[in-house]
Amino acid sequence: MTMVAVRNLGRNKLRTLLTMCGVMVAIVTFVLLRTVLSAWTAAADFAAKDRVGTRHKVSFIMPLPKRYVQEVRDIPGVKSTAIANWFGGKDPKHETEFFATLAVEPKDFLDVYDEISVPEDQRESWFQNRTGAIVGDALAKKLGWKIGDRVTLIGTIFPGDWEFQISGIYTATRRSVDRSSFYFHYEYFNESPQATQAGMHDMVGWIVSRIDDPGRSADISKAIDVKFDERDVQTLSMSERAMNTSFIGMISAVLKAVDVVSLVILAIMVLILGNTVAMGVRERTHEYGVLRAIGFLPKHLVVFVLSEAVVVSTLGGVLGLLVSYPFVEKGVGLFLEENMGAFFPFFRIDPMTAVAALILAAALGLVAAALPAYTASQLKVVDALRRAG
Amino acid sequence: MSGETSTTGELAAKGSANGTIVEAIKVRKTYLRGKEELAVLQDLDLTVHEGAFEALMGPSGSGKSTLLNLIAGLDRPSSGQIRVAGVDVGSLPERSRAKWRAANIGFIFQTYNMMPVLTALENVELPLLLANLSSKERRERAKTALEVVGLSERMQHYPRELSGGQEQRVAIARAIVTDPRLIVADEPTGDLDRKSADDVLKLLERLNTEFNKTIIMVTHDPAAAERAKKVHHLDKGALL
Repeated sequence: MTMVAVRNLGRNKLRTLLTMCGVMVAIVTFVLLRTVLSAWTAAADFAAKDRVGTRHKVSFIMPLPKRYVQEVRDIPGVKSTAIANWFGGKDPKHETEFFATLAVEPKDFLDVYDEISVPEDQRESWFQNRTGAIVGDALAKKLGWKIGDRVTLIGTIFPGDWEFQISGIYTATRRSVDRSSFYFHYEYFNESPQATQAGMHDMVGWIVSRIDDPGRSADISKAIDVKFDERDVQTLSMSERAMNTSFIGMISAVLKAVDVVSLVILAIMVLILGNTVAMGVRERTHEYGVLRAIGFLPKHLVVFVLSEAVVVSTLGGVLGLLVSYPFVEKGVGLFLEENMGAFFPFFRIDPMTAVAALILAAALGLVAAALPAYTASQLKVVDALRRAG
Repeated sequence: MSGETSTTGELAAKGSANGTIVEAIKVRKTYLRGKEELAVLQDLDLTVHEGAFEALMGPSGSGKSTLLNLIAGLDRPSSGQIRVAGVDVGSLPERSRAKWRAANIGFIFQTYNMMPVLTALENVELPLLLANLSSKERRERAKTALEVVGLSERMQHYPRELSGGQEQRVAIARAIVTDPRLIVADEPTGDLDRKSADDVLKLLERLNTEFNKTIIMVTHDPAAAERAKKVHHLDKGALL
């Protein structure tokens, strides 16, 4: 009987195709949104285990005194420290391109972030050049920057034109760093009149410490915070993983919304599919009357209607998955990994998402066809035969 | 067509003890139109013997299709009794009636009612999906039925590739594939040209004479009715 249901798919090929395409689009969207969620969560998993971040206790956006850096460095278990200041620069030639611009102390920074790989000569050149900067290979490729290029950024937080020279292009040996960032000398920033005017002279955005034992990150974090507990500016320290997780926590409402949207799309698809199935059932009322006349039972009609809907939705789901892999992994995924690597270090479809999508596609058909199937099963033979065939 | 698939042999034997296969006793059928009760059949009595080929004629609304539906177990009488092969069809619950129809009744409709996505052979095989047969057995029986109606060359054709007359012959093959003792035909030539109608009627005659099928046919066509051995005229729900 399922064979008959499958053959029925060829009855109105255009409708079947469009329905399958509808399911396909819903599944691609579902897979994409689910992958956003899983990739975002996965970012925390890629965090270095031997790094502890320290920020202002109140908020990320409030700075810490630079003098804290040495005090953090003196805490037992801390091997090295680095500072970073969010600069908020923008390339006027590529106004719409977003990339992170951070003021750092080059040697300390590369020591703490040892997964950032810069060729030795470029590294030395950066150390020597006060206006030098290193950029990620993905960003350099996107904006067409080469070593030695002079670039001017506009400060969105610290106004004015800021001149830089590209000293090096870095790559990442692990997925814990973004390949689209722009790092320049803290000294260049700190001595600028804009930093003084903004009250940021000798202030840093946050401190990152490399510790000797990843298992002690909680204790060391606590030790750092205790040290500054009685000061005017208190700190909040946590492992890099916890920091990433807390960042995810900050955007949990967005993630929840993404989660809900992915389900709403499927719910809409249920309604559309249900309408299509109901239309088919209405058109075949007379035919169902004939089937009932020759001895088929109401349950057989239920099987016909349900199997047809489930086959269409499952095929749509398979099609959706086939499209999802190149679309999500080769298209959107590559783009996000290159351009927003810090948030989406590994944008790949989780096998569980693929399985869930396929099961949901089949369930979609089942739920959508439930009411039309029930309607078909309740048809009175004589009434159904009376309807125009 | 040997009768191997009939599952009601015992009942049939009982029904045919006196040669009667269909017996309508004081059958009344009413419908509600709004609050008004409309009597379509009024205390109708009818007896059809085994091996008969009988036609029901009458103007539209005379109740002939309603009577045919009651005999075929598609509907229940409001009062009275319809006995087919000894079985009080109206008293059977819905599920049992469906099974009874599958085993005992062959249906021929005016508009053929083939499933467009199935070939002629698959359409004929359809009622056998309800029987406990292997797919090979089903296929063999469907082929035999198509041979009987002279369409063995068209087995793999889809309904859209067949003429109206050929489609109706496939419908007849579908009606006889379960080897029912009673065939009910509702305007079987209504949609056909004269030549095709004649072919279909010849086929029905052959099923009646060669295979001893009892046939009850509703028709408006006097030429079709002439081919029946007996003609009943209905008017306003009563036999004349």
